[in-house]
Amino acid sequence: MRYALLVLGGPYTHQAAHSALRFAHAAIARGHRVDTVFFYHDGVYNASHLAAPPQDEPHLVDAWRALHREHGTALQVCVAAALRRGVLDASEAERHGKTGASLESPFELTGLGQLLDVERTHERLLTFAP
Amino acid sequence: MLLHLLNRAPSSSHVPRDVLRAMGAEDRLMLIEDGVYGALNAQVQHLPGLEGRLFALREDLESRGLAGRCDASVTIVDMDGFVALTEEAQRTVSWF
Amino acid sequence: MSERAEAEHGDLLVVLRHAPHGSLWLREALDLALVGAAFGQSVSLLLMGDGVWALLAGQGQGPLGQKGTQSTFDMLEMYDIERLYVDASALASRGLAPDDLLLPVIPVDAARLPAVLAGHRQIFNF
Repeated sequence: MRYALLVLGGPYTHQAAHSALRFAHAAIARGHRVDTVFFYHDGVYNASHLAAPPQDEPHLVDAWRALHREHGTALQVCVAAALRRGVLDASEAERHGKTGASLESPFELTGLGQLLDVERTHERLLTFAP
Repeated sequence: MLLHLLNRAPSSSHVPRDVLRAMGAEDRLMLIEDGVYGALNAQVQHLPGLEGRLFALREDLESRGLAGRCDASVTIVDMDGFVALTEEAQRTVSWF
Repeated sequence: MSERAEAEHGDLLVVLRHAPHGSLWLREALDLALVGAAFGQSVSLLLMGDGVWALLAGQGQGPLGQKGTQSTFDMLEMYDIERLYVDASALASRGLAPDDLLLPVIPVDAARLPAVLAGHRQIFNF
């Protein structure tokens, strides 16, 4: 089956992102596809590549990147939720006159309309919340 | 049949009560994260009427030191079993 | 009876369980509902728990200019979001009656709550 995950919880503060990653790998191990992870609400913080966790903790950003690299999972981030929380890619940073960007590929800023498209095109959608 | 995911403990949250009210007669309840505290012998009374429809995630029980404290009425599943439950349900609803 | 049962079906159900102002849950949930409606989906709202406070009359902005959500509720009709379910017991336990609310609602008792959830293709719970 084609799965999508909606992540509403920020990294480390809550278990949501860890649970979503665990689920994604378990679903793939059972032969499913996890084609999309959509980040909304505080979940958008998962997309900040500036996160620098201690070495003895799981590195969530790297784990999301690996999911994309190894399984082609799209990592989509709600642009409105991200901008107000300071999660910007290079083009949004330039548009808003910021000196740095905190989001980069394979994460991509997109609109809520994309989540609605995901909802229609994937057979299962699971939400992981704080 | 819907699969409800719950990550709140009955001892600290009113959310489990709302889940029970929203659940249909065939719906299932999967306890994850802090929701697994509801699977304990002394807590499961707060999740009544779910015989055969109440599940808890093994790895979240184990990381919290609860592995041997689960009530016998709760079905413990691993991640693979969790995915299987989502296959069987038409859709899932997350409560937090 | 059949009309009521039919009215419980739709594409998206957005469940609102948080009060306004204290967090962004309500606003970001409503944003999703409005986008869904703008994309041509039939969207219903279900207010449970403290979510029912969203419909109390007389709300304003926060002291720093925080927007709140009352103006968004005023737009629901424009977006063709017409089904506004409210958990009847959440109202009663807060001393509220349907007449206290900004908009006409469909009170739902415990026996009908599962049918409202089951009647929608997708549920976003906030």
